[in-house]
Amino acid sequence: MPLVPVLTALIVAIAYFALGALSGALSHIETAAWTVWLASGLVFGLLLACDKRRWPAILVGAFLGAAVFDWSLSRPVSEAIGYGAIEVITAVAGAMLADKIGGHPLRLASPQDLVALLAGALVLSIIGALLATSWQYASGGLGMAVVFRVWTLGNVLGAVLVAPLIVAWAAFRPRRSGGLPMRTFLGGAIAFMLFVGCLQYLFSADVQARFHGSVGESLTYVPFVFFAIVALLWGVRGATLATVIGALLAIIHTVRGRGPFAGTEGFLGEAALEVQAYIFAISLTGLLIATLAATQRVAAARARDWQTRFEATIAAHRLLAYEWDPAGGALVVTGDAGPLLGVAPDKLGTLADWLARVAPADRDVVAARFGERGAAGGAGDTLRYSMQGPAGAPIVVSDEARAIVDHDGSLHRVVGIVRVIAAGAEAARA
Amino acid sequence: MSETRAAPDAVFLIHGLGGTQYDLGSMHKRLKNAGFVTHSLTLPGHGTTPEDLASVRAEDWVDAVVGKYREIRDEHPRLHLMGMCMGALLAAVLAEKESHAKGNLVLLAPPVYIDGWATPWYRGLRPLLYHVPGLKHMKIEEEDPFGIKNEQLRAIVKAKFERGENFHYRWVPLECLRQVDRLRAIVMSRAAKIRCPTLVVHAREDELTSLRSANFLVEKIGGARARMVVLEDSYHMICVDNDREIVAKNVLEFFGAALPGATSALANDPRMTTEELAAAVAVIVSRLAEGDVAGLRELAIPDVAWVQPGHNRVAGAHAGKTFAAFAERFRQAGAPRFTAFGTPVFNRGVGLLPATLAATHDGRSLSSQGALLFAFHGGKLLEARWFADDVQQDDAFFGPPEAPDSGAAQLETAFEAATAASKMLTKAPDNTTLLDLYALFKQAGSGDASGERPGMMDVVGRAKFDAWTKRKGMPRDDAMRAYIALVEKLRAAE
Repeated sequence: MPLVPVLTALIVAIAYFALGALSGALSHIETAAWTVWLASGLVFGLLLACDKRRWPAILVGAFLGAAVFDWSLSRPVSEAIGYGAIEVITAVAGAMLADKIGGHPLRLASPQDLVALLAGALVLSIIGALLATSWQYASGGLGMAVVFRVWTLGNVLGAVLVAPLIVAWAAFRPRRSGGLPMRTFLGGAIAFMLFVGCLQYLFSADVQARFHGSVGESLTYVPFVFFAIVALLWGVRGATLATVIGALLAIIHTVRGRGPFAGTEGFLGEAALEVQAYIFAISLTGLLIATLAATQRVAAARARDWQTRFEATIAAHRLLAYEWDPAGGALVVTGDAGPLLGVAPDKLGTLADWLARVAPADRDVVAARFGERGAAGGAGDTLRYSMQGPAGAPIVVSDEARAIVDHDGSLHRVVGIVRVIAAGAEAARA
Repeated sequence: MSETRAAPDAVFLIHGLGGTQYDLGSMHKRLKNAGFVTHSLTLPGHGTTPEDLASVRAEDWVDAVVGKYREIRDEHPRLHLMGMCMGALLAAVLAEKESHAKGNLVLLAPPVYIDGWATPWYRGLRPLLYHVPGLKHMKIEEEDPFGIKNEQLRAIVKAKFERGENFHYRWVPLECLRQVDRLRAIVMSRAAKIRCPTLVVHAREDELTSLRSANFLVEKIGGARARMVVLEDSYHMICVDNDREIVAKNVLEFFGAALPGATSALANDPRMTTEELAAAVAVIVSRLAEGDVAGLRELAIPDVAWVQPGHNRVAGAHAGKTFAAFAERFRQAGAPRFTAFGTPVFNRGVGLLPATLAATHDGRSLSSQGALLFAFHGGKLLEARWFADDVQQDDAFFGPPEAPDSGAAQLETAFEAATAASKMLTKAPDNTTLLDLYALFKQAGSGDASGERPGMMDVVGRAKFDAWTKRKGMPRDDAMRAYIALVEKLRAAE
């Protein structure tokens, strides 16, 4: 029997059991309702992050972990097996939907990935809740609505807490250089400590005693600020880690009757429901900020790549490109102007800057031609004239201009390509 | 010629971790241009696959450089040491261990501290991980910015990585970093015992190792012996990044080297006796008498320059890659030969002799009197200049220069663009295509293959040389066109 799948299944089963036990410890003391079912997030996350060839081993581990855990609660073997089967079915259903939307493996690098994760978590939870409720009904149990609610909320919360953590950290590769630098890490670390400190302060005592009126409830928004900074600086990995730690803190205190949500119980289990909503909001906020920031980074990298390719091409051809706004007068020069003209492109911000480098003998002609280009647009033209090159040496350039017109034919910009066709002594003779 | 000359000075270059001689950019070529012999080695665990680094210890690297050093030490009157990144640490250890006093020491971006701005937040966990069983082979990857600030160069390096070119390992095993840390500790403990003049070159924005490393070394070695050059526009790979010219200039000056060009040669010790110079000029003259300008490359530095006066199709300063094109144009312009040589005069590496340039083309003949000037350094020709008494006569014979937008100029531009494009290919061509690209590039840039065929052990070098030799006789324009077509084909296939 191959060792790796067996080991994988065994590790998953043990981890499942451990997270199940932890979830049990986090159940609401007064109602005994499970606030979060972390184990479902484990299986869901592993299916999203790992190669599909490893799915069978993961699912076997999940089945074993779930069945043994259920059996350890003194439930009949048939129920334990049924529970294990529900875990496998729901995890596969959720993962397949997430795969369809976000691809495989999931990377949490775009809003679409986030949608995939949430859709998978919802489907996983609802299917599981339906199956569990049906089982309960078939067994002659009562309180179907409560079972449905507890199962759905506990699972969806577990899935959005643990699965992103696994998905984000599965892509982690240690690096010699690159990645999150120390300065950014320290900034995030300060925000993280403030986030955890705030949560601890808010949730660790009776808010009525610590704060007056509804101040305690209002202050639950404060950790969001620090959490947002953590998500921005640390990215998806840091956000998911901070979410889990913050969630555990909030749940532990709440289920023990402390913190802003434990004060009054309008209905049985209200505190548990409120803390679930709070954690869901934190998790979603962190993931949203981190994935949007990742999307921005990817877009910036693509833009930089495009710019680099464009600049490499025109530099290899020893060309300059310009864009002139006849209405505003602004001139934008792109290309390696240093070696060609002896001046940085940002020193050529207006047509006047450009004309100042044109040889005096040609300046009037060039200015007039630009005037014509700006007034009429037209099909474009080519002009040759002398300019001041590097170190003041004369150069001769070919300036090919074209007009960009808008939808009604009005001139929008004049764009041109400038090629140096003679330099040094040859240009002087020309 | 070389048999009668004293052995030239040499530089021993040591590459960095996971790297090759690519780490040192064009330093080999520049040092050769300056008349130095260069020695290098491939450090243990390098040149194959990153996995091979897992079993290498710091002592293996030290033993390798010490062994090479002892092998070459007595071949040269002066032997300088130069290392890049981890190679700098090894050079420092070598200088201390061997009490190096036969030359200078150059340390390029020495990573005494791994504390640069792009080092990850978990860098401090390394020592803990070294003791975790099973992590010895953990891959530690290299990522953006790859030590390079220049965006264009970085794009080229990324493309090389994506093509899978073996110029630098993309990752190294964790165990290898442990050995680097051990090497860093050795350098820290022994740096104060380095006795030779030392130059430390370091970038202020080095993303891998901060200026603290350079400051540490200069302080330990002592201000009287060590000095530092701080670069303002580079990251870690200083020999290929924006400041590479500054690095080269400082290194060459530190080694007391001659820079290409007659003026520089006059200002520096030519490292040739007058007899050696006379013999060298005699060889050059015999080539020119046969009309073999292209053959001068065999006697010259890679960037040799020929300066031809006037305003005609062969006039101008033709150096490096353009030398071959000039030689070909010169040959086609009536196979000119230099004749009627007068008595030469010599002074500090420079020979000047009267001559006549004679040629016949399309029923017209040229007999232009003037003088030839040759600048030498260390037995190699740096520059040749023709001074015609009547430049207009040369202009009339050779005809006006080609218009910049002529077919030839367009071909040159297209060739340069294709050369740039070849470096941006995302798919690695197969070996046969790579050899074709190399052969066509060399034929277009340097003309027919010259020099010695690499030995049996240098399989890659030999294959490249053979591919180039197969193109012998191919006209430069044809080689450029074939190169452009091949690059276009490869780009279209992407």
